[in-house]
Amino acid sequence: MSNENFRRQVNDAIDQISGSPSPALRDRVRSSLTSAPATSGSYWIAAVAAVVIAVLLVGVLVVANPLNRRSPVGTVAGPTPTPTPSTPGPSPTPSPSLPAMVCASTQPGAPSSAPPVLFIDSLTTGTHTGYDRLTIGFKNGSPSSVEVQVQSGTTFMQSPSGQTVTLQGTNGLLVTIRGADLHTDYTGSLDIKTGYSGLVEIRRVQDFEGVVQLGLGISGPGCYRWFLLANPDRLVIDVQTS
Amino acid sequence: MLSAAAGDANSFASLIDPLLDPAYRLAAVMLADRGAAEDAVQEASIKAWRKLRQLRGEVGSLRAWFLSIVANECRMTRRQRWWGVLKMAEIETNPDAEPGGASYDLRQAMLKLTPDERLPLVLHFYLDLPLEEVARILHVSPSAAKSRIYRAARRMRSDLTQEEVF
Repeated sequence: MSNENFRRQVNDAIDQISGSPSPALRDRVRSSLTSAPATSGSYWIAAVAAVVIAVLLVGVLVVANPLNRRSPVGTVAGPTPTPTPSTPGPSPTPSPSLPAMVCASTQPGAPSSAPPVLFIDSLTTGTHTGYDRLTIGFKNGSPSSVEVQVQSGTTFMQSPSGQTVTLQGTNGLLVTIRGADLHTDYTGSLDIKTGYSGLVEIRRVQDFEGVVQLGLGISGPGCYRWFLLANPDRLVIDVQTS
Repeated sequence: MLSAAAGDANSFASLIDPLLDPAYRLAAVMLADRGAAEDAVQEASIKAWRKLRQLRGEVGSLRAWFLSIVANECRMTRRQRWWGVLKMAEIETNPDAEPGGASYDLRQAMLKLTPDERLPLVLHFYLDLPLEEVARILHVSPSAAKSRIYRAARRMRSDLTQEEVF
């Protein structure tokens, strides 16, 4: 087969596949060209506008972060002479300005300028009129992310083992503190049975990869409040008893 | 060219007008879909209009430059059709196109090639472009362009010699 012969056959095949362009193609192209912008300038303007809007949105979210619902930080009160089955430490005095009790889970607070790892150095319990209190002391700062989840039943899954553990009481609270450690400075019991009427047991559920979880076995409906105190830094969890 | 570069869309439309037919053939063979081919040519024309500054006034390079934009647009069109259903060309009835005819066999063989294998065949055989221009459109060296043409032709007909292709 000669070169020309093969070329003619290929061209026939291409003709059959492609056919002829529709007569309207030229007008279509011309019309789209005249209506299209010559450069992508408008796209740049749109991109810049999108960036400005995104920055504004982020700013608004940072200023009014709906997730950052941290409780008010109170002042330090003197130690309360209440029975503590664990390491003794300062316990705040009940104040009339405390937050109201809630009976639903709370979301974690947004990260703040807390140190990378907070060392928990005390777990203290106390009983007061209307509530039982767990105070978690921190050696080097205040936690930036605290989450409290209410659950029915007192069975918690331990991490990282995956084994379950059942605490005393009827309902549970799972307290999660991110960026914390319970094994460096804390030397007390990891399973505290208080004998109180509301907060009956506290047990470490996780102390792994900078996340500390404490399971709280409680008697009653599982209403609670939590807030932070300074000097020294503490996280206070009150469990309603009546 | 100068007025097109200055932003005159009508001048640019006139500039590419002779290239629309070859561009359409190229797209129709690559996509095996005439409607999609016209869409690709239209889209490529708009993209070329926006990128006209890249040409830097080199009118001699206009055809290779424009056809390479069309080829890219065809590749993009195929990527967008992720479901992979390709319509076959609406082939007109033609005595030569009957099953068993040499032209029919070549057409079937061509449709079995990938679009990127069909591209050098259209450029070399149908549009009759010099090897250097084919190479520019394919973004390869002339020797690589030559071997792509030969390889694609041999995939359609395995007994072809170089002399029959070039």
